[in-house]
Amino acid sequence: MTSPGTMGAELRPDGVSAANACAIKLQAFEGPLDLLLHLIKLAEVDITDIPIAEIAAQYTEYVGLMHELDLDVAGEYLLMAATLAWIKSRMLLPPEGAGEEDEGPDPRAELVARLLEYQRYKEAAEQLGERSLEGRDVFAARTPELEPPSEEERPLAVSLVALLEAFRRVLARSTGSGRHEVTAEPIHVRDRMLAVMEALARCESIEFERIFELEPERARSRALLIATFLAILELVRLAALRVYQGLDDDGVPAGPIRLRRAEGPGADEWTAAVAEIT
Amino acid sequence: MDREGQKRIVEALVLGAPEPVTAQKIAEIVPGLETEDARALLAELGREYEEQGRAFEIWEVAGGYQLRTRAEYASYLRLLHRERPLRLSRAALETLAVVAYRQPVTRAEIEAVRGVEVDAVLKSLLDRQLLRIAGHREVPGRPMLYATTRRFLEVFGLGRLDDLPTLREMEELLAPGADEPGPPPPASAAGAGAGEPGDEAEGAETEPAAELH
Repeated sequence: MTSPGTMGAELRPDGVSAANACAIKLQAFEGPLDLLLHLIKLAEVDITDIPIAEIAAQYTEYVGLMHELDLDVAGEYLLMAATLAWIKSRMLLPPEGAGEEDEGPDPRAELVARLLEYQRYKEAAEQLGERSLEGRDVFAARTPELEPPSEEERPLAVSLVALLEAFRRVLARSTGSGRHEVTAEPIHVRDRMLAVMEALARCESIEFERIFELEPERARSRALLIATFLAILELVRLAALRVYQGLDDDGVPAGPIRLRRAEGPGADEWTAAVAEIT
Repeated sequence: MDREGQKRIVEALVLGAPEPVTAQKIAEIVPGLETEDARALLAELGREYEEQGRAFEIWEVAGGYQLRTRAEYASYLRLLHRERPLRLSRAALETLAVVAYRQPVTRAEIEAVRGVEVDAVLKSLLDRQLLRIAGHREVPGRPMLYATTRRFLEVFGLGRLDDLPTLREMEELLAPGADEPGPPPPASAAGAGAGEPGDEAEGAETEPAAELH
């Protein structure tokens, strides 16, 4: 949430006074469009008739300041600076076919449209934030399910997206390194399931990306990596395996994804299931 | 069974439910109660709580009904829930707003509106089950599509997506005095949930967030 304190630290439009105040203020911007809207509002000008030279100069000053303060200036801020410079140069050029009535499209038109579009959603976001949020302003009477859901039903403590991302990293690392694939020996998901569970019998938990390094590097073909990944998904489905990730202070999953054997009844039934896979 | 008896059962069901409970579900459980009756009883309960000055009220969220503490007690409940407070950054709110109004939407479309990269914030919103992946767009690259979840409706106290206030039109933004954002939605969106139950929530988003089981 934007606290009133953060947003209250105003920067004078004419320049830069207290560096500290600026640092606070700059971090309060949600990107170049947000910064531009702020400058336009401060300058009290009509958004459809932006004095582009003036606003561009102020914008550049802000971005330069961000550099000086060692703030991480995202590429999008620089891209916008370039866009402003381009519009400014277009404004200085005499319109093509000078003398005719029609002066051609306003070079600012596209930027104005983007600013207005962003402003709509920025306001919508503010309205969302002002609602009575459950867990912040109002709290629900919610009786938890009496029986904890069985291991099969419980969602993973890690999102599928995060898991796929991690697997993509594994694949990316493997390409170009020892891709012999000389043996035409078929790789079975079942064998990989056994290998994964064996590895987990030796230690309590393993980092997800390490589990792909069970075999010597020359044997790590793409097919083997994919079979191992499918084996992990299958073991999760069979409730033999738990995939999880730590939480940071904000309750957002963070850090490496890890695997461990599932506990509780049914944790050993996977062997029977594996036996049935042909 | 008399009406008063039915009303107490309805009250018990709303109190003891693991998630917002629909009028339909209540009608299935309470003998001799139609969906319409259930709604009428829920509205009566809401009025009772108000008249008696109770610390809670009935909300209509995510297509169902739920008892929630009144906003004026927030500061005390925050102390109780200190462990895991709900925090939504401006980046998170802006991203949610774009998705909520334009869903299903690709990451590139969100970034075009906000003018910044949204990778990290999208991931965090997916993990918190406020957004879900709603398939792919059938264009080259098959980009993933994002949509809001049932949890989103719960957190923001919305009965259904249609309950979102309409976006301001461009013309309005250009009108004189358009600098000031419109009045905030009544913080007593609670009021809407407390009194008059609206239409059946058929259209409401009920898909659970994308999860891997």
